[in-house]
Amino acid sequence: MSFREKSAWITLMTVLACFGAYFVELFGGFAGGNHHFGGLQSIHLLLVSVLALAVLQIALTAIAALTTPKDGRGPADERERMIQLRSQSLGYHVLMVLAVGLFAPAFFGHRGVEMANFALLAVVISALTVSVAQIVMFRRGA
Amino acid sequence: MALPIANQIRRLRFEHGEMSQSELAERIGMTRQTVAAIEAGKYSPSLEAAFRIAHVFGVGLDQVFQWSPG
Repeated sequence: MSFREKSAWITLMTVLACFGAYFVELFGGFAGGNHHFGGLQSIHLLLVSVLALAVLQIALTAIAALTTPKDGRGPADERERMIQLRSQSLGYHVLMVLAVGLFAPAFFGHRGVEMANFALLAVVISALTVSVAQIVMFRRGA
Repeated sequence: MALPIANQIRRLRFEHGEMSQSELAERIGMTRQTVAAIEAGKYSPSLEAAFRIAHVFGVGLDQVFQWSPG
């Protein structure tokens, strides 16, 4: 497995773990009937999640670099660049659709930090889409 | 999905001292995974990369890649 494929797996797993925990905690009360969530106290939770994401990604990327043979961690070649471009293009389109979809929570009365959290969720889903698309293309060959 | 371009890279590697995919990859400035994808017909290289591969084996482009539609 090349270094870049490992990086895609690391991004997928760490974003899922850190922001999965963040949104489960944040939206947990929503399912329980609390229709207003994500006050300023959610900033603390967000900072912890981002810090955990950064630490995990740095540590796992270092391990991936050390355990990847030399021929798998050179500069990105044309196929890897193509995979990155295609996956980012897909992620961009997903983000555009979700950005338009932000009108829905606004229509139901969400404001301020709540809307910021919905926007963050859109960014996270877009990032996950990029990682999944990269992994699929790396596995298929292109 | 198989691409309509066949290639003789595996045979050419064998005929050139059983050159490994890693060695070919290093000589054309690509990763081993990309050479494997090209060899398996899963990825069509750029024209420049195709010329680089042919140059390594000292043959013409048409001796490495063949158009095979359908």
